[in-house]
Amino acid sequence: MNSLAKKRRRFILVSLIIPVFLLVAFVVFPAFDLIRMSFTNWDGYSPESDFIGLGNYISMFQNADLWQSLKNNAVYFVVHLCMIPIELAFAVLLVSKLRAAKFYKSMVFMPYIINGVAIAYAFSYFFSPINGAFDAILDLLHLGMLSQNWLSDPKIVNFVLAFVSLWRFSGYHVILFMAALQSLPQDVQEAARVDGANSWQMFKYIQIPAIMLMVDFILFDNIRGALQVFDIPFVITGGGPGYASSTFTLYTIKTAFTFSNFGLASTMAVAIMAMIVIIYVVQNKIIHGIVLKGGDK
Amino acid sequence: MKKRILLQAVKQIICIGMVIVVLLPILLTLFASFKTKADMVNTSPLLLPPLSRITFENFEDVLTDKYLLVGFKNTAIILAVSIFFNVMFGTITAFIIERFEFRFKKVIVALFFAGMLIPTFVTEIARFKIINGLGLYNSLGAPILIYVASDLMQLYIYRQFISTLPVSLDESALLDGCDYFGLFARIIFPLLAPATATVVIIKAINIINDMYIPYLYMPKNSLRTLTTFLMNYANAQQGSWQTLAAGIMIIMLPTILIYIFFQRYILAGVAAGAVKE
Repeated sequence: MNSLAKKRRRFILVSLIIPVFLLVAFVVFPAFDLIRMSFTNWDGYSPESDFIGLGNYISMFQNADLWQSLKNNAVYFVVHLCMIPIELAFAVLLVSKLRAAKFYKSMVFMPYIINGVAIAYAFSYFFSPINGAFDAILDLLHLGMLSQNWLSDPKIVNFVLAFVSLWRFSGYHVILFMAALQSLPQDVQEAARVDGANSWQMFKYIQIPAIMLMVDFILFDNIRGALQVFDIPFVITGGGPGYASSTFTLYTIKTAFTFSNFGLASTMAVAIMAMIVIIYVVQNKIIHGIVLKGGDK
Repeated sequence: MKKRILLQAVKQIICIGMVIVVLLPILLTLFASFKTKADMVNTSPLLLPPLSRITFENFEDVLTDKYLLVGFKNTAIILAVSIFFNVMFGTITAFIIERFEFRFKKVIVALFFAGMLIPTFVTEIARFKIINGLGLYNSLGAPILIYVASDLMQLYIYRQFISTLPVSLDESALLDGCDYFGLFARIIFPLLAPATATVVIIKAINIINDMYIPYLYMPKNSLRTLTTFLMNYANAQQGSWQTLAAGIMIIMLPTILIYIFFQRYILAGVAAGAVKE
């Protein structure tokens, strides 16, 4: 018996040692190293760096461009948030009696798997100011006077980019909502229908409670995603003009790899991590509780 | 009855609208890729050029670029190696976490969970130093190591799948004289095949589409991937939308094909990866 326990321990040890080592070395350790670096003025290549206390934290809070970037993240967050009810409606539609539902389901999710860089360039073309397709569509609808510099006007560029983000990621939420809706046992729905529940009542009393966990997850996914928007502005506008379409992550990456200020960039990275963890905890403790309780009624 | 038909019609109209929104940017890029430089100006961006003037020169331009093949080769190598190790580590880790009790198990599970909360792009600021220190900068080792170490989604898919396998299976195999490695390799691993199919396909799409890690760690020309090939190509085509459009279409193709053929696995995995608690 003892030798079996020994064999078991060896099996566990031998199997886990590499994956756990990789995780610690390349994911967990870097996260802690960011915290350490956030108190230094390391430039990315010198062998040495000085400990500068809270210096980076003070300059981070005084950095107007960074605040502007964070405001841009908020645009993505709000636009995606407004889309959630529509995504849910699409999910309800696609699980309902519908011809060609399978085809529509594949279509709705397709943008999510398409190469993000390729689609970013496709949208650069779509919104381009010279012979752009979007302007041509507006002309076709006799709305030509609405034409704008979609990607270079600081007032609208973030909304255009957020639209691209919607185009790419909404289908993911629709599929998740559909999975939640389909996990609902058929007999419950049948019973409700036999008892004379109409579609709206079905939705309110049967479907909504079933998807509350998913709403919870999608909210968190939305916040986390909005905080980390990077490749869409990186490829389409590079954060420009100026910092008009920069995002928190884009600005952080630029601070490190373009301006060689790894210390300050680490501070910003720590800020992103802190925001994600805080939001996770708050949501788990507060919103989670409310949402699930609301669903139980 | 009439009401039902009307309802179905409204639903269809909404869905067709969605399909148009999804396809339009792709379709218009495809149109542009068939146009000559002159037709980019002369024909509406919403239309194909007249049939007689359709050109394949733009595609020729992309396909004869020697770095396309380089990008294809590098992407294939990164894919094969990372997915191999990912599946190996993913299955065995999930198996042990699901089936065994041992000291520090809680710590290890917590570590894997914390890994999911750590933000993606900004971690590179600290990781860059490590990769550099290992001498992996400008080598295929950098993305491979990062993909193997950091993508944790598969763990949830495997754990969920393993929890549906009966424990009695393990017990009888052990009674029959199988050792633990044999149990895993000969019994559990083959049973995980459906989950592995999902993991491999989703992973492949993620890796083919990833931009930032190859961009950051492999600036060398000979180390381009499909995605960084497109970025370089785009920079060289300043203003020549028709050739860039052909490049876009070619780079989009692999994942679209994967999606068309393996959609079932992808959709199953996406939902399983999300609902993890």
